[in-house]
Amino acid sequence: MAHMESPQDTPVWVNTNNCKACNICVTLCPAGVLGMIEADTSILGSTISVDYPDSCIGCNACELSCPDFAIYVSRKKDFKFAKLSPDSKQRADQIVNENKCMSIKGSQNG
Amino acid sequence: MGRKLITTGNDLVSMAALEAGCNFFAGYPITPSSDIMHNMSVELPKFDGHFIQMEDEIGSVCAAIGASMSGAKAMTGSSGPGISLKSEQIGYSFITEVPLVIVNVMRGGPSTGLPTHVSQADVGQAKYPTHGDYASISLCPGSLEECYSMTIEAFNLAEKYMTPVFLLLDETVGHMQSEVELPDLEDVKKMVINREVYTGDKDTYEPYNAPMDKPAVLNPFFKGYKYHVTGLHHGHKGFPTEDPVQSQYNIDRLTGKVNNNRGDIVKYAEYMLDDADICIIAYGSISRSAKSAIAKLREKGIKAGMFRPITLWPSPDKQLQEIGKKFKHIFVTELNMGQYLEEVQRCTKRDDIGTLHRANGKPIPPLEIVAKVEEML
Amino acid sequence: MAFDYSKYLRTDKMPTLWCWGCGDGVILKSVIRVIDELGWDMDDVCIVSGIGCSGRFSSYMNANTVHTTHGRAIAYATGIKMANPDKKVIVITGDGDGSAIGGNHTIHGCRRNIDLKHIIINNFIYGLTNSQTSPTTPKGMWTVTAQRGNIDPTFDLCKLAEGAGASFIARESMTNPTKLEKVLKKGFEHKGYSFFDVFSNCHINLGRKNKMGQAKETLDWIDSRIVSKSKFEKFTPEEQDGKYPTGVLRQEEQDEYCDMYKKVQYASQNNEQVKF
Repeated sequence: MAHMESPQDTPVWVNTNNCKACNICVTLCPAGVLGMIEADTSILGSTISVDYPDSCIGCNACELSCPDFAIYVSRKKDFKFAKLSPDSKQRADQIVNENKCMSIKGSQNG
Repeated sequence: MGRKLITTGNDLVSMAALEAGCNFFAGYPITPSSDIMHNMSVELPKFDGHFIQMEDEIGSVCAAIGASMSGAKAMTGSSGPGISLKSEQIGYSFITEVPLVIVNVMRGGPSTGLPTHVSQADVGQAKYPTHGDYASISLCPGSLEECYSMTIEAFNLAEKYMTPVFLLLDETVGHMQSEVELPDLEDVKKMVINREVYTGDKDTYEPYNAPMDKPAVLNPFFKGYKYHVTGLHHGHKGFPTEDPVQSQYNIDRLTGKVNNNRGDIVKYAEYMLDDADICIIAYGSISRSAKSAIAKLREKGIKAGMFRPITLWPSPDKQLQEIGKKFKHIFVTELNMGQYLEEVQRCTKRDDIGTLHRANGKPIPPLEIVAKVEEML
Repeated sequence: MAFDYSKYLRTDKMPTLWCWGCGDGVILKSVIRVIDELGWDMDDVCIVSGIGCSGRFSSYMNANTVHTTHGRAIAYATGIKMANPDKKVIVITGDGDGSAIGGNHTIHGCRRNIDLKHIIINNFIYGLTNSQTSPTTPKGMWTVTAQRGNIDPTFDLCKLAEGAGASFIARESMTNPTKLEKVLKKGFEHKGYSFFDVFSNCHINLGRKNKMGQAKETLDWIDSRIVSKSKFEKFTPEEQDGKYPTGVLRQEEQDEYCDMYKKVQYASQNNEQVKF
């Protein structure tokens, strides 16, 4: 298997050069880890932001469904991922049901 | 020494293809070229080569190009309607610079036309078989010996210039049977040219980076030189581009690699032209009628000779220019309604050319040529 | 550590030319992961694609890659495979590419059972040329050439492959990459014509005019049309209507074409008939 080094202590990370802001990873994440943030230089004006890395359960759904090789997840044996918490699940449901793909964290801050 | 045998034009084409190293043939049944496919289906597997009868004409040219780009020496064959179907893929062979030999045993057209009758009606098609800009190469044998030697030459030109090459046979040449003397196999093997191979650094390999008179250098697949082949305009490494400078460069080189090498590519034959007043221009089976006609004309005291283009495209333009200046009378005869006449007119800039053209599936007998030539004097 | 795609990908060609959220990229990724899992050497792999958005697939993979003409990828691949029977040849076509203009080559590739891995990226529309009806467009949908609703019956490509004789047939959707990888792996390991009907999304040129303009909406619509083979078989004919079974639909050991041609070579060299 071909493997690359993960950034230190990082469950999930983004190559913003490749991201086209399709939202698929944000809507698929069962733990509400991801959001979109505005990014002037990106295609479609936004990109992924990893808002709640500590909630990542390492399911790899975002990576496998990303058409653009833009998001990567550590191997389960290399990182101690979280378990799916009610809070995470609620965030994820909110993203899907209320179509809130823009970063929840970001909007709270601003 | 040489080798003597009794055979047909079509059989000699397949024999020469094998001796030139052809190891892949894909075809589809069509009269009058099927004999070549039959022979290849029998002979290729004997030498670990591959033959496949595809589901249609398009599939057969695709399979041949596919095999060729991966490293095989490939050939396909057909007749007018099949060539029309293959035409888009022939364009792919031009732009991707994948060598391919295409035999067209010509029959009467348009469309289904006259399937079993003689014709030279695809001469124009051979010049521009597909859309877009390019320069094509077409060879037209006029004898059994040439069916052999020009097939070898077709493979050599295809490999040397990385381009599709047409071998244009008319039905008479294809089905003609007689004794023929061929060069020894070891001498033939010495004449065979294979495509250039790049052996340098894999990272700096640029298959399509070549000067204006040179073709791409496409390495065989599966040897570690991974590159991209596309029918889109492409850059030096083969990846698609829409850059206008690059696109113009590609077209300039596709035409340039043929037109800048006319001296190497162009072949023709002269017959009794030294003292002639009349130059008859004919090719393929009609050149045989013309030869007999010349003998008869000379018996009558009319000094006729013949110029026979073997490479129809690119045309022997310089030689035709000279003919335009040198001869009082020029006479063009062919089995179509004047497809090569246009090229002769273009090169000679003459508007007084005598002609005998026919497109009804019947050959042109020598006496008709004699009568027509006498008419113009 | 994480999966490293760079060995298999022409990373200098990223980002791809495909629209945001296009399933083609997910399928590309699945193919890469399967090749990695099988340990194939990319020097031995040839990717052949046709014309359409899916045609660009080949240019992104760091292999021997060929972008052919519209509909003809299977025919080119047949030549490449026959001349190199020990190499791996993967063919990528779209639904229009592989079942309309190139339908004949698909049929006869299946019939010969030549060892090609044929992935049809089926997004139910001619996407690249802006939303014309394809053979797999569902009835009633808006397309630019059927603006009152598509009346053309829908082509079940797996049934076509079955009728034509492919020895491995699978359907899966890019909405479930894990399952997709699983069937691709099975098919890549299989010897013979492996036919994959992979449902994919075109939320841009199919979705937007059919009330599913977000990628996720088209993905949900695809999910609503597929059901696992085992469930599908338990459905009544009414329930089956409009649904497509997924998973491996057929896998049989059949004579492979290049193997059979080796027998022709042997027979020709020994002046005998092929032994069946």
